[in-house]
Amino acid sequence: MTDKPVAIIGAGIAGLTAANCLRHQGVPILLFEAGDKIAGMAQSYADEDGFTYDFGAHFITNRLAAAIGIGSKCRDVKYYGESVSVRGRNYTYPFGLMSVPRFVASAVKAKFSRSGETKTAAEYFRRTYGRTLADEVALPILEAWSGAPGDQLAPSVGNKFSHSVAYTLYLSMLSRWKGLAVSSGYCRAIAENPQVWHVYPEGGMAGVCNKLAEPIQDAVRLRSPVEKIIVENDQVVAVRAKGVDHKVSAVVSTAPCPMLPKLVSGTDRLKPLEAFRYRPMIFVNLRLKGRGILPDTVLWMPERKFPFFRLTETTQSMPWLAPAGKTIITCDIGCEVNDAHWRMSDEQLAALCLENVSKLYPEVSENYLGCRVMKTPFAYPVFLQAYEEQRVRFERSTGIDNLMSIGRNGEFAHILMEDIYWSTLKKMQTLVDRLRQLEPAQDVQDGAPSCEKEFADELVTG
Amino acid sequence: MVIDTLQQEKGPAAGARHRSGNADPLALTHQLCCLCQRNDAEAIAVGEDFEYRTSPDTFAALNCRRCGLVYLSPRPAMSALERIYPPDYHAFQFSAEQFGLAYWVRSWLEARRLLQCCEGLPDDARILDIGCGDGFHIKLFQRYGRPSWNVLGIDASEKAVAAARKSGLVVQHADVQTAALPHESFDLIFLIATIEHVEDPVDVLLSVRKLLKPGGRVVIVTDNTGTADFRLFSRRHWGGYHFPRHWNLFNESSLRQLAAISSMQVTRIETIVSPVNWVYSIRNWLVDRHAPNWLIEQFSLKTPITLGAFTVINNLFQLIGKGALLRATFTRPQ
Repeated sequence: MTDKPVAIIGAGIAGLTAANCLRHQGVPILLFEAGDKIAGMAQSYADEDGFTYDFGAHFITNRLAAAIGIGSKCRDVKYYGESVSVRGRNYTYPFGLMSVPRFVASAVKAKFSRSGETKTAAEYFRRTYGRTLADEVALPILEAWSGAPGDQLAPSVGNKFSHSVAYTLYLSMLSRWKGLAVSSGYCRAIAENPQVWHVYPEGGMAGVCNKLAEPIQDAVRLRSPVEKIIVENDQVVAVRAKGVDHKVSAVVSTAPCPMLPKLVSGTDRLKPLEAFRYRPMIFVNLRLKGRGILPDTVLWMPERKFPFFRLTETTQSMPWLAPAGKTIITCDIGCEVNDAHWRMSDEQLAALCLENVSKLYPEVSENYLGCRVMKTPFAYPVFLQAYEEQRVRFERSTGIDNLMSIGRNGEFAHILMEDIYWSTLKKMQTLVDRLRQLEPAQDVQDGAPSCEKEFADELVTG
Repeated sequence: MVIDTLQQEKGPAAGARHRSGNADPLALTHQLCCLCQRNDAEAIAVGEDFEYRTSPDTFAALNCRRCGLVYLSPRPAMSALERIYPPDYHAFQFSAEQFGLAYWVRSWLEARRLLQCCEGLPDDARILDIGCGDGFHIKLFQRYGRPSWNVLGIDASEKAVAAARKSGLVVQHADVQTAALPHESFDLIFLIATIEHVEDPVDVLLSVRKLLKPGGRVVIVTDNTGTADFRLFSRRHWGGYHFPRHWNLFNESSLRQLAAISSMQVTRIETIVSPVNWVYSIRNWLVDRHAPNWLIEQFSLKTPITLGAFTVINNLFQLIGKGALLRATFTRPQ
């Protein structure tokens, strides 16, 4: 194997996982992090009053915790639930919605009339859930989430919903019986089952990152943004950081993929990525007196009259994130950088959210204690139909043999913690195999998981 | 059993239930598949030390996509062995006094099985039991084997060796890689319920190969992942995981690969009957569900009725070649 290191860009969960995996198999690594600390989007923040705010995912699964080796530092999440607010009434997601006759009628109709190819997300949701449920619930949420109308979005955005109704119901029943928040819809890389439930690591997601960083501390270069990825003859040969060129055998980037064309010199293969868009988000955390204000941990708000499309009361699942008798409600506002919401001050945003939340829960105004606002220009990938073809191609490869783009932003996919971990491991194994110049695995065993085929494809197509 | 003496904390803040004094997490190390030397595996189970509660850690069992080996990663570092094999570990004290009828039935069955493996051995045969524990199998040889056979035992655990020596047996405290034993000197070597405990099965088999005379045999008995009990309980409670002490678990295919990597010839691989993984899978499930102790205690190595019932059930699976244990005989080529 080559002596030149693999350069990893970004010390978030994906970058740290990649670094561990490569180090473990004897591949030299260099991990460049632009910021002055590790953890990327996964950082948690605890304030003086005992409130904890997570930027990004709030929990992981017991399976991921065990795989990383932090199970002893994780608390079980006993309950997690989602509801949908429609016309002033709340319905549990997904089964409560089935108590609404007009939703059931349109879903049944869609079930029996489904035919042909779906070309847009709007068509996909209407054909899958029925016109009424799609138009009143699914599409308004999707549009707020994406910042684009449903008929401009690709149907692949619906692939996120992986389980059958029966299996979702089974997991939900088991969750209730066990008194644990069984994971449902949080991992596609490997199957979910009733023995996989949500846990919260000590120190939040940063606890996960710190554990992953332990064995590879020596390879981390903080405050070292990569300025250039130098490609020659369609192969990455070096990266430039702090003005110094480092010869590398490969680059593993976790940077938002639209940034790659700007970083890479010596090829225009990555040019299509410039068009890929991310939906910026504002997360307004309202600190409140009281507990159990919302009907569930998450309350989806599809009605367009509200500025937010989702409210989350994390303390319903993780009571330790706020002091006793107090809570946090997070309001998710989809926006564009520099639009009216983006430019608002924290106080203005808090006032806007309070005014709207109090239309449903009047007590919040008098119980308001303060707010913390977090903004990110890279919250969710927007699956625009305009670049769907390029996105599908990018899903398989960056087009440069030894340049991999991984992680939530790097893959341009709405993936969660477990998926990031397992899919990064899988990709790094393909990289190690390539560096070792091994033939791809062909001898698939009986009972091998279905993703084996996908994995073999990845090896072949690189 | 342990669960009686376990001082359970009421709703521990984080991690798995553990004995008092064992609150610190273990030092853990990440592993590749020992057969493929790759990290291409799927997490198939998450569990904890349901039986001895030696730490608050949780553990993942991974299934190698290439060879089918099931392995524990991360797993306790070698420095943690003392803790994960506590003084009340069953292999240190499997006696008639403690286990009653189960001891006598198992002795009789195991003696028959041992002697089956000894067919064709010369009168002056040298036999080695690696991972001999408290010397249970050596005692069976003394009672039922030919007196002219020379039977030795080694075990890497000081506690096991102390227990064996207490019974008057001569055993070495060593692992097979470093044991002071002459090369090419053994006719038959046993690894009974041992290969799943060792750090590197390939390294162990390579050492075994050196100790065997050309044409000599090694008999490996280990938990079988190609069974109905594994399928049923594989996500968490399967007794064969024995979290966190079983580090590599095989099916027939991965055992064959172990033989190939170690340059041994496969003479025979078959399954044999054992009720233990059924009984302990149910026990682990009950423990996890906080079932009452009187119910949990119906499922242990000391309960002849449940052991008997699952022996009958496993006999039915044995008829279709799905017995709970694998018994492999590998031969060192001439």
